[in-house]
Amino acid sequence: MSDCQGLGDCDDTRMQRIYEYLDGALTRSDLAEIKQHLDECPECTQQYDLECVIRKVVKRSCTEAAPENLKNAILQRIHTIRPVDA
Amino acid sequence: MRSPAMMRPFVVPEADAPEGGNAFSGPDVFAGPEYGTARSGTARLKTRSATIKVDLNAMSTVDPALQGIQEDAANGIPKTGTSPAAEAAEDIDVGSESAEARRARFERDAMQYVDQLYSAAMRMARNPADAEDLVQEAYTKAFSAFHQYKPGTNLKAWLYRILTNTYINLYRKRQREPLQSNSDTIEDWQLARAESHTSSGLRSAEAEALDHLPDSDVKRALQAIPEEFRLAVYFADVEGFAYKEISDIMNTPIGTVMSRLHRGRKMLRDELADYAADRGFKAAADATAATESNKQENGK
Repeated sequence: MSDCQGLGDCDDTRMQRIYEYLDGALTRSDLAEIKQHLDECPECTQQYDLECVIRKVVKRSCTEAAPENLKNAILQRIHTIRPVDA
Repeated sequence: MRSPAMMRPFVVPEADAPEGGNAFSGPDVFAGPEYGTARSGTARLKTRSATIKVDLNAMSTVDPALQGIQEDAANGIPKTGTSPAAEAAEDIDVGSESAEARRARFERDAMQYVDQLYSAAMRMARNPADAEDLVQEAYTKAFSAFHQYKPGTNLKAWLYRILTNTYINLYRKRQREPLQSNSDTIEDWQLARAESHTSSGLRSAEAEALDHLPDSDVKRALQAIPEEFRLAVYFADVEGFAYKEISDIMNTPIGTVMSRLHRGRKMLRDELADYAADRGFKAAADATAATESNKQENGK
């Protein structure tokens, strides 16, 4: 992928850092460190951008509204269920 | 002709998932650390686009209701900032709550997630009718078990866990339908947490091509990756669940969630890159043609 070692010494490590960054799974100091690195490194930024685009298109493509009748069907069905006493 | 989805005979209650009594008997759900290698108890399901290996040992036999009560009693799913205020911790005495009050609380708090659960169900069931059945079954189970839900914990994650277990226990074995896509509704969802980082603005040609992929390609690409990876990626990237939440929903250790996300995202990227390669030049050519066409129109 590249020779950049700012986020780790192999592609896997680097991508893992980018994933964790996007997932909000980093500590505040790690977050700042990666942000700074991304500001400086076009190669890592390119990988980061690609991941952002992938998330964007997956969200865009896989967000479906339930059919109109589904909610009513669920409501009708749960009204036929006798609630269990706790 | 069948009437609305509520009438479909998808009712397979708890009896269908007896402890150790069916083909899915085995240890914890999705518990194995790796799924890339075949081993005993691994089945192969042929789909049109890929051979998907499904670890039968990894499937749950525990009814979601029971599982819910055990886990919620033990530690619960941590509440996160992504949940709406409606389910903020209230002083609800579940024990003394009337049946009607509980039903009202369920309708108020749980029914708002129907669209989201349906979208997730589409990633599992892959056609609209079965996704509807799945969501309906999950809601029925959730309602029946709602007295076990601990107010103040993450209701959305709780519902997703029931949905996932319902799928694993009751549905997946009969799934043999080809992919159909429902309407391509586009909604503006929450942005990923770190996307405030604005980059160079110079996007690579690859990113540009991916961005222009039609929804149908993206759905197929996601569908092509094995489901434990697909669902992890979906939960993280679309729903924005944290690793711990995904770990609770899929009943796997966090390390497994992270490894699935890592591998799943790589697989997804490769799939998408293939589609983009197929369409990349065409899209660019179309765009150029459209520009030319507009120029001509405007020139008249």
